[in-house]
Amino acid sequence: MTDLQLPAAPAARPRARRRRPVPWDLVAALAIFLVLAVVDLVLQPALADLGQIGLLLQTGLPLVLVAAAQTMVVLVRGLDLSVGGILAVATVVTASAQGGGPGWIALALAVGIGLGLLNGLLVGPVGMQPFIVTLATWTIFDGIALKIMSTDGGTPPPAAVALATGETAGIPNSVLVVVGLLVAWLLLRRSRFGHRMVAVGTDAERARLNGTPVRAVVVAAFVLSGLLAAFAGVLSSGLTASGSPTIGDRYILTSVAAVVIGGTSLLGGRGGIGLTVLAALSLTLINDIVAAMNADVWVTTAASSGLLLVLVLTRGLVARLSGRRVT
Amino acid sequence: MTGVLAALRGSRTTLGAALFALVLFVVGTVHTAGFASGDNIRQLLVFASFVGFAALGQTLVVLGGGLDLSVPWLISFGGIQLAVLCAGGMNQVLAVVVCVVVGLLVGLVNGIGVTVFGVAPIVMTLGVGGLVQAYLLAVGLLKATGNDVPTIASGVANGALGPIPVVAVVWLVVALVVAVVLARTRFGRSVYATGENDVVAVLSGIDTGRVRMITYAVSGAASAFAGVIISGYIGKAYLEIGQPFLFASIAALVIGGASILGGRGTYFGTVVGAIALTLLNSLLPLFNLDPASLSIAYGLVILVGVRVTTTRGTGRGWGRRARRAEESEAG
Repeated sequence: MTDLQLPAAPAARPRARRRRPVPWDLVAALAIFLVLAVVDLVLQPALADLGQIGLLLQTGLPLVLVAAAQTMVVLVRGLDLSVGGILAVATVVTASAQGGGPGWIALALAVGIGLGLLNGLLVGPVGMQPFIVTLATWTIFDGIALKIMSTDGGTPPPAAVALATGETAGIPNSVLVVVGLLVAWLLLRRSRFGHRMVAVGTDAERARLNGTPVRAVVVAAFVLSGLLAAFAGVLSSGLTASGSPTIGDRYILTSVAAVVIGGTSLLGGRGGIGLTVLAALSLTLINDIVAAMNADVWVTTAASSGLLLVLVLTRGLVARLSGRRVT
Repeated sequence: MTGVLAALRGSRTTLGAALFALVLFVVGTVHTAGFASGDNIRQLLVFASFVGFAALGQTLVVLGGGLDLSVPWLISFGGIQLAVLCAGGMNQVLAVVVCVVVGLLVGLVNGIGVTVFGVAPIVMTLGVGGLVQAYLLAVGLLKATGNDVPTIASGVANGALGPIPVVAVVWLVVALVVAVVLARTRFGRSVYATGENDVVAVLSGIDTGRVRMITYAVSGAASAFAGVIISGYIGKAYLEIGQPFLFASIAALVIGGASILGGRGTYFGTVVGAIALTLLNSLLPLFNLDPASLSIAYGLVILVGVRVTTTRGTGRGWGRRARRAEESEAG
């Protein structure tokens, strides 16, 4: 990730030379993540182990992927409330395998692409507001998931369980999935499509005048969102070794929160999956820290909200004191 | 004359939502004999007013370019805190005032986080909502069987002025006041300007921070008040009474034609949206669908209803329709 390289500031350079701006969003997201990681390590020193990290990452993996799905749509100035519905459909399709082959995983992903395409067509060519479209398709997808499986149950293919919980060459698969996601995002961002997404999110009208096929880009963003949300569903099903038609709802607000905490703007055009992954992992760490406290439910509720608020308020305060315009 | 035309064009999405509500009402009347009875209509009005009060502050916040996710927890707070205060022997009117004022202060905290610290509204209000939830869980306020609601809340929720429920009358008055404030006052114009374009608003001399802070404060107060009447209607106050109203409050304003990105919409639109949503909620169960089909039908009706009755996009879309609308707006 090029953002990771802080601009070198050699003293010899003439001052007039334009410096690359410091990627504040990334610095802030990294800082929040590191603070939480240190707190968690202090509470649970046993965590400093690749296997343990893999286990922790496993539980956060569905959120990471759903948040990544949300990011794709937010980048083009959209919003996808149906990611939870797509995730739920994917878990029940995967779990319908009843011990069958990995073809069920492919089917779940294909269904995710199809549902994302439906959202994209309604928002792009038909021209409805993303919020109202995905609010409606959210309940439709939840209904479809309930049709397929009325209660939690089923058995996902062994391949899904292995994908979520196994390891490859000594490295936990959960780590590999996150790395793969980041690499895919870097390639995407460098591609023509990536540039077009940012262009559409920044100013759709100007992008259109520049010859960007705006509606096609919007449709593609929703399709990618559907694919990623379905992948989250496959992994969720693998993790729990079952399917759940109601598991998706809890991810909807959290996915938007992760996107925003990462620093991706809901107004489009700014941010990316790298930031979102850091934020989703931060939220996972908060959950882990709170669980380690082993306290009353009100304490854990207060602690998770309080931690979140302290971190984002501190970030805001630092931004303000350093004189940056707060967005 | 042009002013009238502009007003008509601006309210076209609201008319669309009203048409949507009308269609739902006609379908209900044709399908079920008692749907258009006075009792049922009164019932629907009361339910719609719950959504309307929950969505009142939400509409102001969204118009100003924000979002308030603490609404459901402040609703629960309003109901439970009132019950606890009255059980402790406090004067009931005073107790309602205390609840609403605390709601206002919590809203102010949201506003300060968003404006002074620059935290994204969705994160700030989610966090503050969590803290309110923790407070309700913490201090032994909750009773296992629900808290008993004082007579003042149930009186307001169940009372009637002649044939019309009191809450509906209060709602109508509040709606008129909000409509006038939004359309005719400097503050109202500031809210739209802030939501439409923050930078331009600041350059035009608007104190956008203050405007935003007021919208969040109103949202907190309105949510707490909604909690009072909702618990009054149910007869008990539970932790979960606010939950259905998070998405209902947002859906009502979006169906009413407001843009979730701010700057466009009216409270009148939200009122119509709340009525349409309530009609849909009471109509669909009459068809004896299983839960899965009910869920699918609900989504399809919203999708088709909004698409068919909305004659133009509210802008900010990407489709040909939205573009044409923007061109005609410019021309």
